[in-house]
Amino acid sequence: MLTLPTLTSTDFLPLWPALILSAGACLVLLSEVFLSSASRSFQPLLTVIATVLGALVAAATVFSVPTGVFGGFVVLDPFGSLVSLVICIGVGLSALLAPAFLRGRQAERGEFYALLLFGGAGMSLLVLSNELIFLFINLEILSIATYALAAYLRRGPRPAEAGFKYFILGAFSSAVLLYGAALLFGATRSTLLPQMGAELARIFTDPTLSDRQPLAYCGLALIGAGFGFKIAAVPFHMWTPDVYEGAPTPVTAMMSAAVKAAAFAAMVRVFLVLGRGIPGDALLTGFSTLAFLTMIGGNLLALPQRNVKRMLAYSSISHAGYLLVGVASLFVKSGTTKGGVLGVTALAAGATPDTAGALRGILFYLLAYTVTTVGAFGVLGALERRDDEVRGFAWDLDRLAGLAQRKPAWAVAMAVFMLSLGGIPPMAGFMGKLLIFRSAVDAGLVGLVIVGVLTSAVGAYYYLRVVVYMYMRPAPEAGGLPERNLSTELALVLSTVAVVVLGVLPGITGTWLSRGGSVFLGR
Amino acid sequence: MDGISITLQHYLFLAALLFSLGVFGVLVRRNALVVFMSVELMLNASNLTFLAFARDAGMDVGHLPALFVIAVAAAEAAIGLAIIIAVFRSRGTVNVDDIRTMRL
Repeated sequence: MLTLPTLTSTDFLPLWPALILSAGACLVLLSEVFLSSASRSFQPLLTVIATVLGALVAAATVFSVPTGVFGGFVVLDPFGSLVSLVICIGVGLSALLAPAFLRGRQAERGEFYALLLFGGAGMSLLVLSNELIFLFINLEILSIATYALAAYLRRGPRPAEAGFKYFILGAFSSAVLLYGAALLFGATRSTLLPQMGAELARIFTDPTLSDRQPLAYCGLALIGAGFGFKIAAVPFHMWTPDVYEGAPTPVTAMMSAAVKAAAFAAMVRVFLVLGRGIPGDALLTGFSTLAFLTMIGGNLLALPQRNVKRMLAYSSISHAGYLLVGVASLFVKSGTTKGGVLGVTALAAGATPDTAGALRGILFYLLAYTVTTVGAFGVLGALERRDDEVRGFAWDLDRLAGLAQRKPAWAVAMAVFMLSLGGIPPMAGFMGKLLIFRSAVDAGLVGLVIVGVLTSAVGAYYYLRVVVYMYMRPAPEAGGLPERNLSTELALVLSTVAVVVLGVLPGITGTWLSRGGSVFLGR
Repeated sequence: MDGISITLQHYLFLAALLFSLGVFGVLVRRNALVVFMSVELMLNASNLTFLAFARDAGMDVGHLPALFVIAVAAAEAAIGLAIIIAVFRSRGTVNVDDIRTMRL
């Protein structure tokens, strides 16, 4: 006899951000029914209010004790709360960028904001999922919202193409992930992550169950590949540049910031919980190989790009690589030394992996990258003109030439974002890289960190080239200026201030971030 | 009756075959609709795997994933077909090779 579980208010505590975002989305959709097209300006406001409320509620749960709620399907832990917070920030800033962009294209509709909020709710639930089917459904909620957003300006050829490519690759990767989940279900006879982790440990220690080992390895590899597509790690990155270039710029900002943060956090949770029972270096080797390929591939492909939007797409791949260094350092088992670029080199005797430190590094990096990338795409989106989009040079480097004379404040903001992406002090991106690389060195991944630092130096070339164009090239004669728009400027000011403050005073996140290392692993 | 009994392995091999066919279709076929159908094939392979394992283990709860996946696949089909129609309207073709305005 199946009995309904009794739910308490604690069960709903982690779900509040997602509930608020969904409620905001429903309000926006309802308002669409009663409105004429003239009075839509409050829809972005409503969206931003929903994300701010969601962020506040997520922030309020940061200091909770990690537990599983809803029968173990959902977790309440500081790591999930902090990622929810980052997601709300990313969605909110992207929503601020949208009104001016949509107005310029006569495409102001409530659906856009509703889809943003529904996607945000899916992301927030994704990072709290502790069960594979629940995780799959949330992944689909966020993906379906994002497919629609990518193809939102459906009359132009590019957004339709971007939406199409994103949809095919996204659906493909979800199916790969689901098949991996099915195989793991076969091996462990459960879909709850903590139970699966315990069962995997039994499979790898109990010789009578050793015939399930291949099944477990196949399942883990397929799940890893599915997540690899979602976070755009090389060699699963092919879709990224086309989709990022073709999608409407505020949507690209949202994809590179919030969607990526959510997929990363979900991947970290799945493999942390499942990986405890897996002996040897299988996970470490997998993730450090991915990190190695992604850092090198992303940076080298970004080098020749004159199209700044496409360059930022490749740059987002390379940043996934740096984050993967942090993820790889989570799976170093103490006492292993292998050497080589991908392996563990113990600098000093007793180098101990610091899981909590690595998680904090990943969280700070996600926050820093979110504010930076939304700002950078925001500047690009405000500068592009519609008639150039069809011909495809709306985002050429020349478009930024002489920006420092035409729009000094915008040039400063863009320079701050570029320096932060390049990891140059005193910006937030530098602190993020520092934290990640430090925990990786502590864990002994010295070879990988050296590759990371070298590829960052390569990255500085194409980021600084943008700054050079803005400050040292003359402005074109017929360069029209973008219209002033309050919400775009607010988003740019907020993200610039955040990038500088996080870089100069990273300590202000201290008490919050110090909680971020605690992940609910189950009993 | 001493015919061939259908065991767990048969279901799993069928599912693996369906999944491989789906992957092959996504990678090789050029018509967007066929590519999309191949993705659906992969989802159904996962469903079959879930059901086979659930039945083998005697877990009733294990049947639930398939239901959820069917619902999700329907939602995905709705949005996917809408996008394919948008592509067809803007270029008059659904051939994957022709959908390539953006270059390196």
